[in-house]
Amino acid sequence: MLDVISPSDPPPLKSQLPAYIRARGILSARLQDSGRGTRVFDLSEAGGYRLKFPHADPCEAMIVNTGGGMAGGDHLALSLSLGPQAVAVCSTQSAEKIYRAERDRAEITVTLTLDDAANLAWLPQETILFDGAQLHRKLTLDMAANATFMACETVVFGRSAMGETVHAASLVDQWDIRRNGKLVFAERVKITGDIQSLLDRPTIGAGARAIATMLYVAPDAEARLEEVRELLAPDDSAPVEWGASAWNGLLCIRAVSPEASALRRQTARFLNRFRQLPLPRVWQC
Amino acid sequence: MINPATLPLLVWLSPSFPVGAFAFSHGLEWAVEAGDIHDAESAGLWLSDLLQHGSGTSDCCTVALAWQAASAHDQERLHDLAELACAMQPSSERRLEATMQGQAFMLATLSSWSRPSLESLKPALADGVTYPVALGLVAASHEIPLAQTVSAFALSFVSNLVSALVRLGPLGQTDGQRVIAAMLPLIGTVSDGATKATLDDLGSCAFRSDIASMRHETQYTRLFRS
Repeated sequence: MLDVISPSDPPPLKSQLPAYIRARGILSARLQDSGRGTRVFDLSEAGGYRLKFPHADPCEAMIVNTGGGMAGGDHLALSLSLGPQAVAVCSTQSAEKIYRAERDRAEITVTLTLDDAANLAWLPQETILFDGAQLHRKLTLDMAANATFMACETVVFGRSAMGETVHAASLVDQWDIRRNGKLVFAERVKITGDIQSLLDRPTIGAGARAIATMLYVAPDAEARLEEVRELLAPDDSAPVEWGASAWNGLLCIRAVSPEASALRRQTARFLNRFRQLPLPRVWQC
Repeated sequence: MINPATLPLLVWLSPSFPVGAFAFSHGLEWAVEAGDIHDAESAGLWLSDLLQHGSGTSDCCTVALAWQAASAHDQERLHDLAELACAMQPSSERRLEATMQGQAFMLATLSSWSRPSLESLKPALADGVTYPVALGLVAASHEIPLAQTVSAFALSFVSNLVSALVRLGPLGQTDGQRVIAAMLPLIGTVSDGATKATLDDLGSCAFRSDIASMRHETQYTRLFRS
């Protein structure tokens, strides 16, 4: 939670830099089952991004942005492929902050591949959009029919604990999930303009300042819907509104909350119980 | 006088056309239960948000993109759009709503309103079809102009949902008609924008509408299938 309330973020000076010094982050890795756990092969890193593998079981891949946030024109391209039976959790070392864009949008492209019986939990910490931010994010996943994929993405619109508001920004978030070559789920979130007043509207957020989308694609996805609904049962002390549905071999959960910290707590609590595994250490603060 | 070329739209989009529109509320039944929609004002607000920021605008863009792919006789483009439109549905019941009406619309038009171009493009729908894709395809094969197709679809989107709200109680018949009348300018703007849409324009931020359709699945008493 520290990232959401931290007062120490420097102003995004690098947004005034010319385009040729913009960050062009590239991360790519292949994770394979070695017989004694999942190991990393063919790691490549460039442009201020690192992929760290702390000792953990299952294997953890931690994305580190040494630039501490993204400004307009910054790009990150991440690709991660898991071989047969490989098991991994991918997260980020800190919340990703998206600063005001003077001209071009920031872009994040994520390409994931899961071979036979591979299991990936994609659990980055929240993305925080500052006023004036423009983010275009595209996640493409190709998975085998018997692989397992769990994703949780949270977006926080301004750090309301700091009194920040987001009046002009844009977020385009696209996910294409292919299972056995067939497109089974396509997320197309598009929110542009005076985000705060959009989020105040009942159809959109009824005052929400943070949203989360979780997706679970696995052979047992539809069978776990009842369990998920019980885990999400309303907790009157937490101002988080949830919905869950399952179809087509997948389970989708959407949540909105006026408080980013409450959403994070509830999401972490749900993930711990649903996965029956502790979250990566970075989540436990 | 209405351009005779557009007359089939009045038939296809009328409540008596056999697509089963009366069975679906698009999550509105939950929004009424939860108190989000309780009168004409809150109904108008919810529907205009759907039309500007949610499934309404995205569906209008889908109609336009399907119309263009079908007019260009581009099987692959139509197939990919149809597959995407199915995959974009945010919940089990919304997927049912979109695909059952899509299949029913195809069935009815193939048996009563068939055209050679419609028959030849049918294989593009092998991986599923939603209602907006079906309408765009059928209208293009009857050479009905794009702008009229999209704006007639947008009007029927609104009037179907108003009809659901009238049956659910928060709107009387007269208030329902007032809501539709008040939304005509917005219907014009949204459908005009949709005719210039690209694939990147598909999308929504009506998060609580999506959540409403998910919550509807466990609603205790229900009139509607979505």
